[in-house]
Amino acid sequence: MTTLFTFYVLVWPALTLGVLALICRAVWRDQCRARAENRELV
Amino acid sequence: MNSESLYQFSTLTVILLLLAFYGGTYLMTLGIRRKNEDADAYMVSNHRIGFGIGAASMTATWIWAASFYAAATSGYTYGVSGPIHYGLWGALMILFIYPFGRRFRKLAPNAHTLGELIHARHGSSSQLILALSNVLGSVISLMVNFTAAGALVSVLSPLSFQAGVIIAGVGVLLYTLWSGFRASVLTDFAQLVALMAIAIVIIPAVFFAMGGPETLVAGLDNLTPEQANFFSSEAILQQGAPFFVAVLAYAIGNQTISQRLFAVNEDHIKPTFLTATVGYGAIVIGLGMIGLMALTIGVQPLDGDMNNLIPQMVSGYLPPVFIALFFILVIGSLSSTADSDLSALSAIMMADVYGKNIARGKADPKRMLLVGRLTMITATAVGIVFASFSLDILVMLVFVGALWGAIVFPVIASCFWSRVTNQAFTTSVLVAMVLFCVARFELVDLAGPGGLFFELLASIGGGVIIGLMVFGFLGRTAGFVAGALALVAMLVFATGFLRDYTVLLASLTAYGTSTLVCVVMSLASRERFDFATIRERVGDYDAHEAEPEAGEAIPAAASLAAQR
Repeated sequence: MTTLFTFYVLVWPALTLGVLALICRAVWRDQCRARAENRELV
Repeated sequence: MNSESLYQFSTLTVILLLLAFYGGTYLMTLGIRRKNEDADAYMVSNHRIGFGIGAASMTATWIWAASFYAAATSGYTYGVSGPIHYGLWGALMILFIYPFGRRFRKLAPNAHTLGELIHARHGSSSQLILALSNVLGSVISLMVNFTAAGALVSVLSPLSFQAGVIIAGVGVLLYTLWSGFRASVLTDFAQLVALMAIAIVIIPAVFFAMGGPETLVAGLDNLTPEQANFFSSEAILQQGAPFFVAVLAYAIGNQTISQRLFAVNEDHIKPTFLTATVGYGAIVIGLGMIGLMALTIGVQPLDGDMNNLIPQMVSGYLPPVFIALFFILVIGSLSSTADSDLSALSAIMMADVYGKNIARGKADPKRMLLVGRLTMITATAVGIVFASFSLDILVMLVFVGALWGAIVFPVIASCFWSRVTNQAFTTSVLVAMVLFCVARFELVDLAGPGGLFFELLASIGGGVIIGLMVFGFLGRTAGFVAGALALVAMLVFATGFLRDYTVLLASLTAYGTSTLVCVVMSLASRERFDFATIRERVGDYDAHEAEPEAGEAIPAAASLAAQR
C-alpha cells in the first residue's frame, strides 16, 4: 500500500519532468530549424 | 486578506519577485519585437509554430491559477480520486479538440479565429454568437486570473489585494501589447519551463516534508469510505461528470485554443495537442495531490477557505525559498493564461468584428493592429476593475457555460455537414439557451412530466457528447453507434434520476436541444454548402513574402478581395 500510494503521488512530477524534457528538446529543434530557414521562431 | 498563519514576505521581497518575473518576461519579448508588426502575425504568428513552442504554449495557456486551487480542493473534498476528476477532464479538453482542429485547419488554413471560419460558412449572425461566447469566456478568465494574483499577493505579503490585481494586469499588458500572440507564445514557453520545474520540486518536497509515505498511508484511515474509494460515485457525479460534459464545450468555446490550432504548423497539430494533454494532466493532478495529502493528515483550510490549502501546506512544511517558488508558480500560470486571453480578445476584435463586420473585406492591417492593441488595453482595464471589485460572476459563468454547450454541435456539424444553414445554427443556439435557463433555474416543476421532458433532452445531449467524441477519433459510423448506445444508456439510467442534478441536467439539455433543432432544421433545408469556398473566403490581411511551404496559400491581396 505504501509503495502504491508513493507511486500514485510521485508519478505526476515524474511525468511532468518527462514532458518538460520533451518540450525543451523540441524547442531547441524548432530554433535550429528556424535559424536554418532564416526565419524567426515565432 | 492578510493572514498571520501563513508565511509573510516583506513588501520589498514581493515587489522584487514581481519585478523579476514581469521584467524578465518583458525583456524576452524585446528580442522578437518589430517596429512594424504584421497584423496576421499579431493574431497567429506565421501559421508555422513548431511542435515545442506550440505544445508549451498550449499547456501554459490551459493551466491557470484556478487549476491548482481547484485540483487541490477536489483532492481534499473527494479524496483519492479527486485530483484525477479535476485534472483528467481538463486535459481531455485539449485532447478531444485536435481531431476537429485538423478539420478546421483543413477548411481554413489561413484563418485567425474559429469565428472567421463560421463567418465564411454561415455569415455574421452565427459568427457573432461564437465571437460573443469567446469574448465573455476570455473576459471571465482575465478577471479570475487577476483576482488570483490579488489574493496571492494579499495572502503572502502586506500588499493589498488591489495592488496585486493592478501589478498583474499591467505586467501582463506590458509584455503582450506590442507583439500580441507572438509575445504570448514565446513567453508561454519560459513560463511553462518555470512552472513545470517548480511543480517537479514542490510536490515531492511537500510529500516528504509531511512525513513521507508511511505517515500519509497511516492517515488514509481518516478518509470516509467515499473518499478512500478510487471509483467514488460521489466524486464522479459531483466533480467528474460536470467536467466531462464540458470537455468539448470548453474547447470549442475558447479562442485561445482555436488560435493555437491555426498557429501551429499543420503537420504538428496532433503531437502538439497530445503533449499538452499529458503536460497539463501531470502538473494539475500532481498539485491536486497536495489537497489529498492535506486531507490524510487532517489539515483544516485556513479561515475555511479551500484556496488557502496549497499556500498553507507550502508555508507550513517548506522553507521560504519554496514559498517564493510557489509564488512564481502561481504568477507564471495566471500570467500565461492572461496573456493568451488578451491575444484571443484582440484577434476576435481584429478579425471577427473589424475585419469581417466593419471593414468587410477592405481591412487596413495598420488599423487592425490599432484595434488589437486598443482591445488589449480595454480588456485589461475591464479585468482589473471587475477583479478589484470582486464582482460576483457566477451568473455570467453559468450563461457562458450554457452558450458554449449550445454551440458545440452547430459548430462541429457546420464543418462536416453541408446541409447545416445559418438559420439552423442561430435558432438552435437560441432555443437551447432558453431551455437551458428553464432547467437551470427550475422555471418549471421538474418533479413531474417537465422533469421527464428535460431528462429526454439531456439524454440526447449525453448521446451527442459521446457520439462527437468518438466521431472525432474513429469516424462517422463509430460516432453514430457510440452516440446511439450512450443515448439508450442515458434513457435507461438517467430518467427519473438526473432531475436531482440540475446543473448537469441543464448543461446536457443545452447540448441536446441545440442538436435536435439544428438537425431538424438542416434536414428540412435544401441548401448544400461547398466547403471549398471557405478557403477562398478566409485569408491573410497583411502582405507577406511567399513561404516555402505555402504553395497553396492565396496571396494577401487576392485573399482580401475574396473575403466577404
